Amino acid sequence: MNYKKLIATAITMGIITCAAGAGAAAEGELTVNIWDNNQLAGLQSIVDEWEEETGYSANINVVNWDQYWTLLEAGASGGQMPDVFWMHSNTAQMYMENDLLLNLDDYIAADDTIDLSNYYEGIVTLYSSNGHQYALPKDHDTIALLYNEALFEKYGVDTPTDDWTWEDVYEAAKAITEAGAADGVYGYAVNTSNNQDGWYNIVYDYGAQIITDDHKGTTIGSEEGKAGMEMVRKLLTVSTPQTMVAESGTDSLFQSNQVAMITQGSWMVNAFYTAEHGADYKWALLPYADVNGNGQCDEGERQSSYNGLGWAAAANTANPDAAYSLISYLCNEQGQLKQSERGITMAAYIGASDAFTTAFEGLDLSPFTRIEEEGSLYFRPYTRKTTVWEDALQQAGGFLDAWQNPEDAELMATACDNAQAIIENAIANE
Amino acid sequence: MKKSKMSVARKKEAVWGWAFIIPTMLGLLILNFYPIFNTVYQSFFKTGDFGKGNIYIGLKNYQNLLAGTGSKEMWQSLWNTVKYAIIEVPFSVIISMLLAVLLNRKMKGRSAYRTIFFLPMVCAPAAVAMVWKWLYNQQFGLINNVFHTKIAWISDPKIAWIAIGVIGVWSIIGYNMVLFIGGLQEIPGDYYEAARIDGASGFRQFWNITVPLLSPTTFFIVQTRIIGALTVFDLMFMVMDKTNVALSKTQSIVYLFYQYSFTNGNKGVGATLVVILLVFIMIITAILQASEKKFVYHN
Repeated sequence: MNYKKLIATAITMGIITCAAGAGAAAEGELTVNIWDNNQLAGLQSIVDEWEEETGYSANINVVNWDQYWTLLEAGASGGQMPDVFWMHSNTAQMYMENDLLLNLDDYIAADDTIDLSNYYEGIVTLYSSNGHQYALPKDHDTIALLYNEALFEKYGVDTPTDDWTWEDVYEAAKAITEAGAADGVYGYAVNTSNNQDGWYNIVYDYGAQIITDDHKGTTIGSEEGKAGMEMVRKLLTVSTPQTMVAESGTDSLFQSNQVAMITQGSWMVNAFYTAEHGADYKWALLPYADVNGNGQCDEGERQSSYNGLGWAAAANTANPDAAYSLISYLCNEQGQLKQSERGITMAAYIGASDAFTTAFEGLDLSPFTRIEEEGSLYFRPYTRKTTVWEDALQQAGGFLDAWQNPEDAELMATACDNAQAIIENAIANE
Repeated sequence: MKKSKMSVARKKEAVWGWAFIIPTMLGLLILNFYPIFNTVYQSFFKTGDFGKGNIYIGLKNYQNLLAGTGSKEMWQSLWNTVKYAIIEVPFSVIISMLLAVLLNRKMKGRSAYRTIFFLPMVCAPAAVAMVWKWLYNQQFGLINNVFHTKIAWISDPKIAWIAIGVIGVWSIIGYNMVLFIGGLQEIPGDYYEAARIDGASGFRQFWNITVPLLSPTTFFIVQTRIIGALTVFDLMFMVMDKTNVALSKTQSIVYLFYQYSFTNGNKGVGATLVVILLVFIMIITAILQASEKKFVYHN
């Protein structure tokens, strides 16, 4: 009887201490939330160095992209946000306007190591509201063409070069899809959800904009927009069918050697470098659209989206000094150089990204930096509530129907008109 | 003298009674009742960010969802949810009833079999969904590769709802089976003996003795499983990508609620969806309760 009582008490005490201990971080330790597992190791190494230099401590949590914003919002509504976290263009305006981010103006003014003119202007403006700065630029990313050298060799097709147009991509994809039909291999793959890293770039190449520069409208339904999506439609006729891409994802299909080319962003480099057949994967300059037909790449014909994350702190954090210290360490010139050298991402600090191109042994990542010189960059399209129209474009009623039937050019044109209406409605309701 | 002694003792009992009930009562009030009223309250608003700046719009949300621009999607989702319930409830009840009867006999390894059939309940729903997602994959999935078929299990709008229903049945069989076994224990063995003496076959014994005497348990399981099936969400969310072409013919009401409330930040519309689902479930439950006398055999 006593033995039973003892066990019961022990278990109860255990449960109580576990429950109490689970939520509590160590005294004064910052909670840091990010969503990209690929960047964890590199960022952890920089944070470790910061901990040694300053004596503060921090704990990085990786929360999957799909849950990251739900969690952050729940925390914001409930008053329990992480101390330091990533900010993204999709939601930055909402968080800034609701006073949820720590105002960094005074800290920046007192900080010698941070001068905002050293960063990409688009990213700095993104994270400022009403003249106040709420996050420091962390990185910038661009898009490039990823191809499987082994598959190109196997089917006897020439590999991508710097002067490839999207028509060349179409020809190569067609050749591989036809040759590889027996093995189930396709030349190209793109889903409606591959927007920043996929079809957005083609739309901009042809002269239309998903979101206009004032963030208040769109030109996807214009002649240029329809021309761009017509090129996408052409590519779809030689790409992996949408239902397969929806089930497996373009990245998995590529890593399983079922697809020869996809377009992807610089934040994915590590995932493909460390994949099973990573040695075969190479990056090439993002192709351009020869809209004026003169056989060379002119201004505006080669476009890549770029985005920049920001390091922000919660407005109600218990340790604002420690939080800013961490943010500053990660975003000053030294921190940005470290980020590039260790192959985490490219820097938001202008000129600090060259080290990134050689950070991975045996892999040439210059396509990601050369696109800025040999092409143009446009900021990832965003509005106040980006996900509303972004998701709607990817599903039935948006572009999904056109993706299902790439043979039908009418569907794609109608989809462009639908997309125009969807975006305009969404902006009107914001 | 006697009177006051009794009331003191009863008072003490009453105090202890309340002391033990208060934690649960508090939990119910704060975590169940308050959110229910808050949800109904929010359905009359156009909600602002982070709970601030709600604008009162009366019944506009209801108008929108029942007859306006959002109605097609809403009614389709409701129908999808009913379709899912039509697969999950009857099949899981029938299969688990048979299993319970088979596993109620004296046989070798009975405990092992019962454990095996109950295991799906122990697995995390997200893990279950992930595994089934890859089982159903049309290129690499185990099902297509073992049976040499090329069926798009979760991408064909015509059969995706059945595929999801199968996952639902598989997960809940163990739970229903355990409840049925409990119900079977209560049936006195004399009935079966008497039937055997009279020469009744196994099937007749099952149909005329087991099923009627099990009907209270069956009724309970059917009622709770209908309610459970109508609130399904995790299966569709985890198994089907948001660009899946079969999604509009498979997504449940709660999936729509998640999309509106969390992805789009429109909690007013989400609250309205929940209220609509609540009313629907109440109607179904009322119908079931009214028909209890007809189907349930009480001693």
